[in-house]
Parts: sequence; structure tokens; C-alpha cells
Amino acid sequence: MTRWGMVIDAARCVGCQACTVACKTENQSPLDAWYAPVLEWESGEFPDATLNYLPVLCNHCEDAPCVTACPSGALTRRDDGIVMADEDVCIGSRACMTACPYGALHFFEDRGTVAVDAAPAGPEQSVPERYAHQRHVRGAVSKCTYCAHKIDFGIENGLEVGIHPLATPACVVTCPAECRIFGDLDDPDSNVSRYLAERGPSEVLRPDAETLPSTQYVGLP
Amino acid sequence: MTSLGAASGGGGPQNVFMDQFSLEARTQRVWDLNHAVWFTLMGLGGGVFLAGRILNLTEGLGSVLGIPTVDVVSFVAIAAGGAILVADLGRPLQFWRAFVNIRTSWISWGAWSDLIFLVVAGLLVLPALSLGGSAPFEGLGWDPHGTDGAGLALEIVAGVAAVVVMTYAGAVLARPRAIPYWNSPAVPLQFLLSSSAMSVAVVLFIEVAAGEPVSAGQMVLLGLLCSGLLVAVVVHLVTDVTAPGKAESLDRLLRGRYRVRFVWLVLVDGTALPAVLAFVGAAASGARDVLAVVCCGLLLVGGFWLRLLTLRVGIFPPVHIPSAAGR
Repeated sequence: MTRWGMVIDAARCVGCQACTVACKTENQSPLDAWYAPVLEWESGEFPDATLNYLPVLCNHCEDAPCVTACPSGALTRRDDGIVMADEDVCIGSRACMTACPYGALHFFEDRGTVAVDAAPAGPEQSVPERYAHQRHVRGAVSKCTYCAHKIDFGIENGLEVGIHPLATPACVVTCPAECRIFGDLDDPDSNVSRYLAERGPSEVLRPDAETLPSTQYVGLP
Repeated sequence: MTSLGAASGGGGPQNVFMDQFSLEARTQRVWDLNHAVWFTLMGLGGGVFLAGRILNLTEGLGSVLGIPTVDVVSFVAIAAGGAILVADLGRPLQFWRAFVNIRTSWISWGAWSDLIFLVVAGLLVLPALSLGGSAPFEGLGWDPHGTDGAGLALEIVAGVAAVVVMTYAGAVLARPRAIPYWNSPAVPLQFLLSSSAMSVAVVLFIEVAAGEPVSAGQMVLLGLLCSGLLVAVVVHLVTDVTAPGKAESLDRLLRGRYRVRFVWLVLVDGTALPAVLAFVGAAASGARDVLAVVCCGLLLVGGFWLRLLTLRVGIFPPVHIPSAAGR
């Protein structure tokens, strides 16, 4: 059984936020929503101060609390482990947002400040904002899908998922430091499994939440 | 670490934005005032129905269109709470989907229990409905006070639904592990005890308003519920005090921006004082009615603030605690 997952080598991250922007461009997420930000914090004291970086995204948990909490069934976990949000089914209760330990769900609030359906975009509405309104449902929750559309496209067209750029999450493709590796966690010969064998063992974020994440880390500060 | 985000406790747009790029603890901002009102009304609605029946006070305290006042208060509270919940949804017209995930979602359980309660309790009291001097549903065949078999069956189903209505808001908060302050059985217990105390106090208020005397036993019950609530709140405040996330919540409640409101409106005026007044009222028959009314006001305010502050101190700990070298 395939279980898509991502290994992030935090020690390699240079904090350029290219993944953050690539994700936003690929998924046209609502303006306030960043599906794949890089967290920053300072450590040490001058002259030994350091900026640390931690790329985060949906953990696509095996025991996903967002799926459990969702009253409408909008959040589901596919057989390949990807947690999807069906924005057409979402009622906007935001229970998932309070249940997710990682802050990976984003509510597309309709603030009523822009003429969202007006075309073409005018000065009151930016082009990205218009794209977001076309692609996402107002009043619903959206999230990282590991770029499931790219994965599905790759499988349909015989491309190697996690290797071919058209079949790999945008954040992975764009990372200049190659700190993200995507592949099948259940396949011992996959790129993620080989990377973990070489650099592991992996860690997860918020282990106390016991969510069994598919997004795993090595080199955490 | 930097001091952006939840540590500042601010809710402005800049903090909302920066929270997404900071490793610090993060305050939940998705549920606030509307949910506190909804939680309060649901607890009150279910509780008043139960308290009226447990205290055998459905009859003799007045009626609206033939339906006991106690039940009318219950229905209005639950209907208003449900309306607020629906209005607060991102997509209110899709509210019916809240009934779908009964397998795992406490919100779905709550939606079903609200509906079952309103339908079954509504059916129960329907024979008492009086319109223009006639009772069109009198022949339905059961007693609205549950003294016959069919009436009792409806009363039991409505009662069970009412208990779920009173409890599920706390369970919604307590089940996920994401927010440590919420992830405790103490939260649904607090909500249940607070709802029970508020509801008994409201029924006693209706009793006083109807000119009926409040009994010592009723005041003792109220005092015990308030005492239980105080214990539940205090136990929650002194357990796991150093757990990431909960420590920040406690800091905000006991030392930070919510200290005055939490200590005075919730702990003292909203819980401890009503407990004392209720026990005093049980002993002093002359002041009992006045004390019951005072307790009602204090408990309603305290119950609302308990829920609102519980929501506002919902803090996610950092997704990663750096090792000593990374701090």
C-alpha cells in the first residue's frame, strides 16, 4: 500500500521561503493562508546568535484529528494517506482548525471588502486574490494536499512521483537546498525511505499529539 | 526566541499573519464570542428542561400558551443557541451537513442531540399547547408532564438528549490534543456543572417570579453544584501546570490579561460566592428568595465568562521545542 510522505531535513533549510511562495503560486491559496510557511526563531546571544528555520506544512496524519473533528465529512484521508479537504462539502465550523496541532488548516473568510466576482480585476482586488476566489470556496477551510493534483497527474501519466517535477509537490520541486524529499513511506526503495535509512531516525512535530504524521523530520534543531 | 505571536496575546491582523511564521505558542482565534454565547445557551437550555423535571417544577410556575414556562425558557435557549451556531458557520446554508459525521465528531453528536431534544421535548409538551382557549393537540394521548407511559418515554429520550446538549460543547474542546488547556475531562465536567448550576438557578428564579417559595433543599442542591464547579475549575488550574501550551493558558488566566475577569467574574462572583449564598439561603428562610435571584444573576454571568475565557486561553504550544543548543 502506498503511503505518501515527506521528509524534511531541517538542517539543510536556508530560510529562503521559496517553498512558501511556490506553494502559494501552485495552490492559489487565499491571501491570509500559507500552507507551507517556514518558521523562524532566534537562538543564542551575540556574537553567537543564530536564526533557525523550520519548514512546516500539513502533516497528513494517519490519525488525523481534523478528520475526526470535522462534522460534515469534508475532511477525509485517502487510501494513499493524503488528507484532503472538500471545500464544497465544508460548512465552515472550523472544528478542524482547533483540532489540528500544526495550524495546517485555513479558513477562507469572506470579509466582504472586495468585489470578488467582478471581472476583470480592478484596483480593489489583486490578481492573486481573484485567483484565490476562483479556486477556493468562501466560508470553507482549505489546506495543503501534498499537491495531490500533481501526484495524481503523475500516476496517470506514468511519471515517477517525488522525482519528476510534474509529479512532485511544488514546495519540494522549488527548494534550492533540497531539504524536502517526497515519496512512498511504505516502499523501502523509495527516495524517502532511502534518505531516512541514511539520515534517520526521523522525528515528528508535536509528538505529544500522537497523530502519526506522514511529514517527518531529520536534523531538527 | 522572538516575541511575536501568541506570547503577546494580541489579536490584530499583524499578529495573525506573523503567527504563521513564528515558532512560538499560538492562540486559537477561530472560536470566540459567538461560541461562548452558543455554549452558554445550549447548557442552559438542556439544563433548565432537566432541572424543571428533577425539581418537579414544570407545573405551577406559569405557562406560555399552555406550555410550562420552564420548558419555554429551555426551548428558546436551545433554539437561539442553534441559530447562533448556524449563523457563525462559514457556510450557514450548508448547516445540514453538520449531521453527517456522527461516527467521530462531537459537533455532529451535538447537532443530533439538539434536533432530537427539540423534536421530542416539543412533542412531549404539545398536548399542553393552548391556542385561543382550545388545546388542539390534547388528544395526542400522552401526559406532557410524563406521568403516563408514553409521556415518560418521551421525557426520558428528551432528558438524555438534554444531557448530551449540556455536555457536548465541552467534549468538542476536550477531545483533540492540539490545545492542552482544553484537552482534559475537566473542561466538559466544568461545562456540565456550570450548566447545571445555572439551570437550577434559573428555575429557582422562575419559581420566585411565580410567587412560589424556594425550599432549603433546592438551595442546598444549588450550593453543591456551585461547590462541585469550583472544585472542577481549581483542580484543572493546578494540574499539568508546566505542560507546554497549558502553562501559557494558565499564565494568561491567573497573571495576564484575563486575570481580573477570571478571578472575579468566574472564580469568585461566578462560583464561590453563589455557593456561599446558596448555603446561607438554605439556612436563612427569610432571605432565600432574594439570594436565589442573586445567585441566578451571578451564575449566568460567571457561566458565560467561564466559557468565553476557556475559548480565549486556547493556546497551541509550539510545534517543536528546540533542544538546548537551538534555543
